[in-house]
Amino acid sequence: MWRDALLVAGKDLRVELRSRVALAEVAPFALVVLVLFGLALGPDRSVLQNVATGLFWVAALLATVLAVQRSFAIEAADDARDGLRLSGLDPAGVFAGKGLAIAAQLVVIEIVLAVVAALLFDVHLSGGLTLIAICVAATTGLVAVGTVYGAVAARARVRETLLPLLFLPVVAPVLLAAVKASKAALAGTPSHGYGWLELLGVFAVVYVAVGAVAFGPLVED
Amino acid sequence: MTVTSTPLKEQPGRAVDVASSPRRLRRSASTRRDRLVAALGLLALIGVVIDVWLGLWVTPPDQTLGNLVRLLYIHPALAWVMYIAYGIAFLSSILYLWPRTRSPRFDHLAGAAAEVGVVFTGLTLVTGSIWGRPTWGTWWTWDPLLTTTALLFVLYLGYLAVRRVPGDPATRAKRSAVAALVAFIDVPVVYFSVLWWRSLHQLPTVDDPVTGKTYVHGSMAWTLLLSFVSFSLVFLWLLIHRYRLSLLAEKESDELLAIAMAERRGEVAR
Amino acid sequence: MSAYIDAGYVVALGTLAVYGSTLVARERAARRRIEAATRPTGEELADDDPSRVEAVPGPITDAR
Repeated sequence: MWRDALLVAGKDLRVELRSRVALAEVAPFALVVLVLFGLALGPDRSVLQNVATGLFWVAALLATVLAVQRSFAIEAADDARDGLRLSGLDPAGVFAGKGLAIAAQLVVIEIVLAVVAALLFDVHLSGGLTLIAICVAATTGLVAVGTVYGAVAARARVRETLLPLLFLPVVAPVLLAAVKASKAALAGTPSHGYGWLELLGVFAVVYVAVGAVAFGPLVED
Repeated sequence: MTVTSTPLKEQPGRAVDVASSPRRLRRSASTRRDRLVAALGLLALIGVVIDVWLGLWVTPPDQTLGNLVRLLYIHPALAWVMYIAYGIAFLSSILYLWPRTRSPRFDHLAGAAAEVGVVFTGLTLVTGSIWGRPTWGTWWTWDPLLTTTALLFVLYLGYLAVRRVPGDPATRAKRSAVAALVAFIDVPVVYFSVLWWRSLHQLPTVDDPVTGKTYVHGSMAWTLLLSFVSFSLVFLWLLIHRYRLSLLAEKESDELLAIAMAERRGEVAR
Repeated sequence: MSAYIDAGYVVALGTLAVYGSTLVARERAARRRIEAATRPTGEELADDDPSRVEAVPGPITDAR
């Protein structure tokens, strides 16, 4: 299964490297979201400092939606999806592979977002290790749910509108937990956020498992 | 192609074995079922009427909440039914995904349960909001249960949207089942995360009306129990009808397809 | 305050009643449509069933 996963992930990442969509379109979109929020809620610096973590994670969530859509749109051309199905790859492997590729792109986007958010909203980035753990756990959960729903919505002509509607409510707990945990870490009291970090971890584990199991029937057709 | 409903006698040249026994047996079995369902509906209706009568007139107003406690005889029952509905959708979806028990009926059941569940969720939100308004002066408090319910509402609206995506029924059923799986597993996660999210900010004096510590006793307790029972019956009745409607809709599209194909064959033969 | 309570009861019960009646109405309509569509061809008879009578041009097959 892991071999299949790496195969699929490698393919997706190679496509991304060549087309640079995540870098050229998804990341700027996330940055635009941050700026727009700044415009809508600012310019009072104290307000923005307060909501900075929330805005970061909302932007990250929206970027995930785009990244997932892009990941499944790649296969829409030339019936590549049927090729994937007929290739005999383990569905759980395909799930993991696509997930890994999306996660890799998201991590890069999150790093960029974090730097820009810290600049725009005057936030001092501290509590490094905890923040990294939060990002890893949250991203895993987001990507797991996103990949499953991406497959559910794939090939539907209403994919663009269906995916956000499906995805965002499910990951609301991730948003809650990530924001609370990040806030605690940035405030210098990371231990307050450990409960939330646990929630993120549980969410990630549960949905990776669900995704691996559910991908089978979705792909078998 | 228009399908007109002409009585059997007027159709020239048609011979249908009206007295064929399998058809007659099936018809009497289905009318028996219909009568049972109608009886269920009547029972549900009676239950609700009694619940309303007790709730609005017979039971006393509460010491702290006053007359507002009367919403206790609807709101919690609606929420309870909502969870039952989603639970049924979840189990049905699992049964559909499991290869050994895969049957289109489970797909129809899941869809029916989810739709009725969404109706009840919406009503839970409305009654919860109405309950909060006189107490807090706002239509919405970010009360943990209400917020969870709001998220569940959107969650299952998404599920219903997946069911509406056109496509071959088996694929659509599989996708819907997976969506139901993901959604239902999220329910406890949402519940706990929102609860913790709120409890961090809970001021000690805040006592939200929905989970408030109202001392429920005597006639109030019985009415509350009755409300759960009667709304469950209402749910069951609605579920059965929605399920049947789902089956009929599929049958109708199958029949129309069969007719179109028969006509095409007739054309070719001529 | 009682206005709120009444509103709550009316909205909840009213919505359920409306929903229930639309379900029943749609179900009846669908049943009628299916009866109309299947009466001429006989729903349980297979295509090569010998007891099946060939459809003669009538109001249904001629209607376009």
